[in-house]
Amino acid sequence: MTKSKGIPMFSPNRRTFLQGMGAAGLAGAGLMPRKAHAATSMKFMCWEGYDSPDIIKPFEEANDVSISIDLITDSPGGFAKLAAGAWRDFDVVATDSPWVQRMGPADIGEFLDDAEFADVYESFYPQFRAPFAPLDFDGKTTGLPTRWGWVGPTVNTKYDKLENWSSYAPCFDPAYKDKICVLDWGDWPIMPMALYAGIDPYKELDDAELNEIRLVLRALFKNTRAIVGDLSVAQKGLMDGSFRTLIGGGTYCTSALRKDGQKEIMSIVPEPKDGLNQGIIWMEAGGVVKDPVDDAKAKALLRDLTSPEVAVKLAWTEATCNLVPSQEAEALFTDEQKDVLQMDYMWEAWDKSHFHNVAPNIDQMLEIWSQELAAAR
Amino acid sequence: MAEIQKSWRDGALRLSTLPLLLLMGLFFVIPLIMTALLSFQGTQYYRLVWTWDLKVWTDVFSQVHYWTIMWRTLMMALVCTVLCTILAIPIAYGMLHRLSRWSDHITLLMVFAFLTDAVLKTFGWVLFLDRSGVLNGTLEAIGFPPAAVNVLFTPNATMIGMVYNLLPYTIFTIALSMARIDGDLVLAARDAGASRLRAFIEVTLPLAKPGIWAGAVLVFVLSLGVFLEPKVMGGGTSPLAAELIRQSFETRVNWPLGAALTLVLIVIGAAALTVAGAVALWQARRVVND
Repeated sequence: MTKSKGIPMFSPNRRTFLQGMGAAGLAGAGLMPRKAHAATSMKFMCWEGYDSPDIIKPFEEANDVSISIDLITDSPGGFAKLAAGAWRDFDVVATDSPWVQRMGPADIGEFLDDAEFADVYESFYPQFRAPFAPLDFDGKTTGLPTRWGWVGPTVNTKYDKLENWSSYAPCFDPAYKDKICVLDWGDWPIMPMALYAGIDPYKELDDAELNEIRLVLRALFKNTRAIVGDLSVAQKGLMDGSFRTLIGGGTYCTSALRKDGQKEIMSIVPEPKDGLNQGIIWMEAGGVVKDPVDDAKAKALLRDLTSPEVAVKLAWTEATCNLVPSQEAEALFTDEQKDVLQMDYMWEAWDKSHFHNVAPNIDQMLEIWSQELAAAR
Repeated sequence: MAEIQKSWRDGALRLSTLPLLLLMGLFFVIPLIMTALLSFQGTQYYRLVWTWDLKVWTDVFSQVHYWTIMWRTLMMALVCTVLCTILAIPIAYGMLHRLSRWSDHITLLMVFAFLTDAVLKTFGWVLFLDRSGVLNGTLEAIGFPPAAVNVLFTPNATMIGMVYNLLPYTIFTIALSMARIDGDLVLAARDAGASRLRAFIEVTLPLAKPGIWAGAVLVFVLSLGVFLEPKVMGGGTSPLAAELIRQSFETRVNWPLGAALTLVLIVIGAAALTVAGAVALWQARRVVND
C-alpha cells in the first residue's frame, strides 16, 4: 500500500517537486521512459556497492519500483543530511550501523518489528540475531545488519611478519619510522590508538584519558609517513612495501587487494592488551527512513539486501569485498571468495574486538586529532 | 574619438547592471550571509541547533591549531602565487616571441592538460614521485642510489602539485596581457639602445602588469582552497584550511564551525588581496607622479 509522506498538501518536498516537473517535461516531449511508469519511486541513500545494478535492477523489476540512488562518502555526513530535513526525500538508507541506530532517537527512522523479520534473523549467524544490541534503541530495532568487517593493522606479509602486528607497538617503533600509513577516515584510526593506550573510547572519557589519546596520536604522527583519505594510495603503498602497515583500515581496505590476487596482504586484529580487546568490528546496516513512500516496499528492499543471494552480491563488489551477517550466504561463497574475505579468521577477529559505535567523546577526539596533526609538522 | 560620459544616475545603465547584481546577490551575497548566520548556531548529537551564541567563534579564536593551519595555508598560497608568476612570465613571453610558430600547439597542449581531471593529474604525480616511481626508477637507472628523490608525502610535494595545477591560470593571463602590448614600443626601446633584457624589464614587464596581477590574484584565491594536493601528494600530514573545513562539515558534522572557518578563510583571502591591491595602486600612483 502506498502512503503519503505525511506532509501538507501545498508543501511539496524536493523529490515530489522534481518528479512532477521532470515527468511533466518528459511527458510533454513524449520521452517518458518505461522505468518512470513504475508504480513506486523510492530513494535509497547508501554506500558504494549497494547501488550495483545486479542488486537494484532485479528488485525494481520484481517489485514494480524505480529506485534512485544517493551515494554517501561519509556516514556522519549522510546522517547530518537526513537529520537536516532530507529524510523527507528518502525511503531507505544503508550506512554504518551507529548512524542507523541514531535514526531512532533523531526521529528520522522507522522502527522494525523483529517478528516481521524473524525469517531474516533466522538466516543470520547467531551473533547477529534479534535482539541485536548494536541496532537497538530503547528496546526497539532501528535496522538490519548488512555488511561487516574488522579494523586492525593491514600488513603485506611479503615485507613484514604478521606476528609483528600482534600489537600496535610497531606504530611507535623508530624502526618503522616513515613506514606507517594511517587512513584518515574520521574516528577509524583514533579508536585503535585509544585502545592501544589502554582506554576504551566507547565510554565517557575524562580529561586524563583524552590527554592519553592526545599523547598516543602525537607519537603515531611522528612515525607516520602518510595520512590518506583515499584507499588507492594506501593500497599502492602496501603492495610495493613502502607502507608496512595501514592503520584504521582493516578488511574494508584489504579485501579488494586480496580479490585481485594479492593474498599476501591481510588484515588482522592485535591481541588483547591489559584485558582490553584491540580490534574493532564495524558494521553497515539498512534502515527504513521515517514515512517512506511505500512502507512495504521499503521493508522489502531491506529484506532483499539481507537475503542470502543478494548478500553474496553485496559482499563481492567492484570497490570492496566484505563479510555479511547471513549464515545461509556462507554456503553460496566459493572457497576462493571465502579465502579473500578471510572467513577462517572472522570469529577470532570478532572475539578480540569491540563493536564500533558512536563514542560519547568523539568530537573531542576529532578535535585532538586535528590539533596534533596541525602541530605534527 | 568622443568620450562617452557615464553616470550612475543613468537609469538604463543601472538597469544593465541588474542581471549581474541579481547573480551576485543570489549566488554570493545571500549564501555568504547564510554562512555567517550559521556560524552563530550550535550542534547537538550531530544536529544543528538554533542557539544564536558566540560559542563557535570563541572556539575559533581560542584554538591555536586553527590559526596554525590558516597561517600555513596563507604561506603556501603566497609561495605558490610567487612561483606560478615567476614561472609563467618567461613561459608566456617565450610562447609569444621565441616559439611563436608553435604558440598554437603549445596553447592547445596546455589547455588539454588544464582540462584533464585534477584527480587524475594529481594521482599521476604520485606515481611519478613515489620512492618506487618513474622519477626514482629513471634516476636509479642512470646510477643514482635507490629512492634518491624522497619528496612525496611532504609539503614540497604539495607545492609541486599546486604549482602544476594552477600554473596555466598565470600563463594564460600573462600571455593575453603581453599579446596586447604594442610591438612598436619594444622596437622603439631597442632602437634607443636598450638590450633585449632591458627592453623586456622596462617595457614589456610593466605593460604586462595587469595580466600578472590578474593571474596572481586568481592563483592566490584558488591556492587558499586547495584540497587534493595536500591530501594526496602531501600525504595529509600538513593539512591546509580546505581540509580543516571539510573535516568540520563532514566528519565532525559541525556545520557552524565549518561556516566560521570558511568565513575566516574568506576574510584572510580578502585582506591579503586588499593589501596587494593597495600596494599595486600605490605603485601605479608613484609611476604617474614620477
